Amino acid sequence: MDAPFPSGLPFPTAAYLVLYLVTLWVHIAFMNYVLAGSATLAAGLVVGGRAAKEHPICALLRDWMPFMLSAAITAGIAPLLFLQVLYKEQFYTANLLLFFRWMAILPALILGFYLGYLLKKEPAPGRGRGGRIALGIAVFACFAFVGWSWVENHLLSVQPEECWKEHYVSGAHLYASPELLPRLLLWFVAGFPTMALMVGWQLWDRGRRGKGDPADGARAGSAIGLAGVVVSALWAWRYFYLLSDAAQKIVSGPAGRLYLLLSIAGGAIELVAFAALLRRGRWSPGWLALGSAGLVANFVGTGVMNETIRLVTLDGTVGLPLLFARHAASWKVAGFPVFLFFLALNVGLMAFCVRRVRRLPN
Amino acid sequence: MNPPYYPVSDFGPMMKGMVIGGLGIVHVFLAMFAIGGGLLMCYFQWLAQTGRSPNARRFVDGYFKALVLISFVVGAVTGVAMWFVSIQVSPRTIGMMVEEFHWVWGIEWTFFSLEITAGYCFYRCSARLPDRDRLLLLGIYSAASWFSLFWINGILTWQLTPGDWSRTREVWSGFFNPGFLPSLLFRTVTAMTVASLAACVVINTMADLDRAARKALINKAAHFLFPMAAMPFLSAWYFGTMPEDSRRMVFGGSIVMTLFMGLATGASLLIGLYAGFALLLKRLYINGATATLLVALSFAATAGGEFVREGVRKPYTVREALYSTSVAPEEVTRLRAEGCVARDPYPLRDAANYPNDQVRLGAKVFRFHCNVCHTMDGANALRHLAGDWTPVQRRMNIAQLQRTKTFMPPFSGTPEELEALVRLIEWATAGRPREWPVSTDREDWPEGRRRIRAWLDEAGVAPGFLKPGERR
Repeated sequence: MDAPFPSGLPFPTAAYLVLYLVTLWVHIAFMNYVLAGSATLAAGLVVGGRAAKEHPICALLRDWMPFMLSAAITAGIAPLLFLQVLYKEQFYTANLLLFFRWMAILPALILGFYLGYLLKKEPAPGRGRGGRIALGIAVFACFAFVGWSWVENHLLSVQPEECWKEHYVSGAHLYASPELLPRLLLWFVAGFPTMALMVGWQLWDRGRRGKGDPADGARAGSAIGLAGVVVSALWAWRYFYLLSDAAQKIVSGPAGRLYLLLSIAGGAIELVAFAALLRRGRWSPGWLALGSAGLVANFVGTGVMNETIRLVTLDGTVGLPLLFARHAASWKVAGFPVFLFFLALNVGLMAFCVRRVRRLPN
Repeated sequence: MNPPYYPVSDFGPMMKGMVIGGLGIVHVFLAMFAIGGGLLMCYFQWLAQTGRSPNARRFVDGYFKALVLISFVVGAVTGVAMWFVSIQVSPRTIGMMVEEFHWVWGIEWTFFSLEITAGYCFYRCSARLPDRDRLLLLGIYSAASWFSLFWINGILTWQLTPGDWSRTREVWSGFFNPGFLPSLLFRTVTAMTVASLAACVVINTMADLDRAARKALINKAAHFLFPMAAMPFLSAWYFGTMPEDSRRMVFGGSIVMTLFMGLATGASLLIGLYAGFALLLKRLYINGATATLLVALSFAATAGGEFVREGVRKPYTVREALYSTSVAPEEVTRLRAEGCVARDPYPLRDAANYPNDQVRLGAKVFRFHCNVCHTMDGANALRHLAGDWTPVQRRMNIAQLQRTKTFMPPFSGTPEELEALVRLIEWATAGRPREWPVSTDREDWPEGRRRIRAWLDEAGVAPGFLKPGERR
C-alpha cells in the first residue's frame, strides 16, 4: 500500500473499487442534496418564516426533495452491491451487530419521503407555523438518522473481531466511537457545497428557460456553498488528527498524498467558484462548471483516501492477501461485458428521456 | 473449508422466515403493481391517442400518481430492505447470491434506474407532453420495469432450479435455468392481473366521472385479466421444472406448503372466476369495495405463492450448494468430525442464564444450526416440536434429521454437540431449572455417544429426499 491508487492493487480489487467509487459518487451527489437540502429547508422554516418559504432555493428544494430522495435510493443500490463484493464479511457483520438499529433506516427513509411530500404541499389557510417547522425538522431528522447509521455501520465494519465479539455480547444496538460524531459532521457539512452547486445549476437552467431570473437565490446559494467549503475544510483538518497513526501516515504518505492534494485542490477550486458567484450575484454556467470540476476533484480525492484508509485498517485485521484473493475469485464470474453494455445502453436511454422532456415548451 | 461465522441475530418469538417472508410478499406485490402498471398505462395511452377511450388519458395521469407515490420509494426501499433482512437471516446465502450474480444484479440496477428516470420524466411533464412522447416514455418505463423482473427472476429461480450451474458453476447456465421462463411468464401474468385490479380501485376514485364513463374504463382495464387463463398451464409448467422432492412438498408432503398453495390457488381461482364471468363476459360495473377486495385477494394469492416458492427450496437455500443452515453439503462431514461451533468466535449473549457448559454448548449449536428457521419458545419452536419426544427418539430424530423430515438438512455437528442440543431442548421443556445434570458426565455416555455416531453414520450426509441408490 505504498503506491497511489490504483497502482499496487491487484486488477480485480482496483476494478471493483473504481466501480464502487464511481457509483458511490453519483449516490453521494443526490444524498448531499437530500441531507443538506432538508437541513436548509428546516433552518429556513425555523429562522426565516414566510420570506424563507418563498425564497427560490427553499421553493426549489421543496419541489425536488422527493425526486432527489428517490434518485439517492436508486443510485445507492449499485455502491451497496459493490461494497458487498469488496467487503462482504465486514459489511454483513456490522449489519448483524447493529440489527434493529440498522434496519430502522428503512422506515426512516419512507417516513422522510412522505413527510417531504407534505412539506411540498401548500398548508391549509390558518395552519400554524409551528406545524411546518416541526415537519421540516422531522424530514431532516429522518435523513440525518440515515447518515448517522451509515457512519456507525462503516466504523463498526472496520473493527477487529475482538471488538465485534464484545459488541455482540453486550447486545448493544448502538456503536459508540470517538470518531462517530466528527465523521458524521464532516459528511454533513461537506454536503452543502454539493447541494449549492446542484441548486445553482437548477436555478441557472430555470433562468435560461425564462422560468426565473438567473439571479434567483444566487447570493444565498453561493454563500451556503462557500461556508460549506470553508467549514468542511477546517473540520477535515481537525478530523485528520482523530485518525489512527496508520491512517494519518497513509493519507500523508506516498499512497495518499496525491489524492489528499487533489481533494484540497478541488476544495480550493470550489471556493474560488463560489466566491466569484457571490460577487457576481448571478448564476453563471462558467463558474458553476468550474465549481463542479472542483467538486469532482474533491470527491475523487476524498473517496480514494477513504478507501485507502479502509484497506490499511483491514490489512491489520483480516489481511489484504485474503481480501484480494476473494476479489480475484469474484472477478472470474462472467457477466462484466454484459453489465457494461446495459449500463451504456440504459444511461443513453436515461439521457434520451431527459432530453425529450427538456425540449418541451414551458 | 469452514463456513464463515457471523454474529447471529434473534428476532425473539418470530421465526426469521416470517420476517423475510412478510417483507418479501409486500415487496413482490409492489413490484408486480409497478410492472403491470407500466404495461397497463401503455395500453391506456394507446387507447387515448387512438380515440378508443375518451377518459383513458385522465386515468393514466391518476394511476401514475399512485404508482409514483407507492412504488417508487416504498418499492425501492422494501427492495433494499429485502437485502438487509436477507443479511440478518442468512448472510452466507445472500453473500453467495451476490458473489455469483453481482453483474446480473448490476444490470438489473441499470434497468431500475432507467425505470425511475423515465417514470419521473413522465410524472413531472406528462401534462405538457404530446401523445407520441407520452407513449414513448411509458413504453420505456414499462420495458425497463419488466426487464428488472427479467433479471431478478433469473436469480430467484436459480435458487431452486440451478440447472447446469450445479455442474459447471457458469453464471449464464444458472441464470437461464429450467424454472426461468415459466416463472417469468407467470409473474408477468400476475403483474398484469394486479395492475388491472388496482386500476379498478383507482377508477372508482375518479369521482368526477359518471358511472358509465367509469364502467367503460373498468371494462378496458379488465382486458389485462385475459392472460389469467394461461395461469394453470404456466403453473403446471413451473411445477414440472421443480425438483421432485420440492413438488412432493407442495402436493401433500408438507401440509403447510399444501395449504399455502391452496390459498394461492383458491384466491387466484376466485379472481379468475370473477374476472371471467363478471368483468369480461357480462362486462359488469365493479365498485370500489369489490375492487379493493379483489386486490386483497390478489395479495393473498401472491402471499401464498411466495411462501411456497421460498418454502419448497428446503432443505437448501441454494439447491445442492447451500443448506438452509448455511452449511455447504461438502462441509457436513468435516463439521461432524470437528464440531459446527468449535470455530464460532461469538460467545453467547446470555451465557449466565444457562445452568452448565453442556447447555451453553447446546445454545451455541441451536444458534448455528436451528435459529435460521426455528425459535426455542416462539414460532416453530423446538420446545414444541421436539419437547415431547422420548429421550431416545430426540437423539435419533436429530441425528437423522434429514430422514425425520426430508425438508430438513443433515445435522452437521459432533455427537457431543448433538447431545448438548438435546439437553438444551430438555432443559427448556423442563422450565429452565437452575440446576441441570450434565449427561456427558454419566457412566453410560460412551455408549450414548456410540449410538449417536451410529445414527449419524446411518443417515449419512446426503439430503434425505435422495433414494438409497442416489446417496453419495
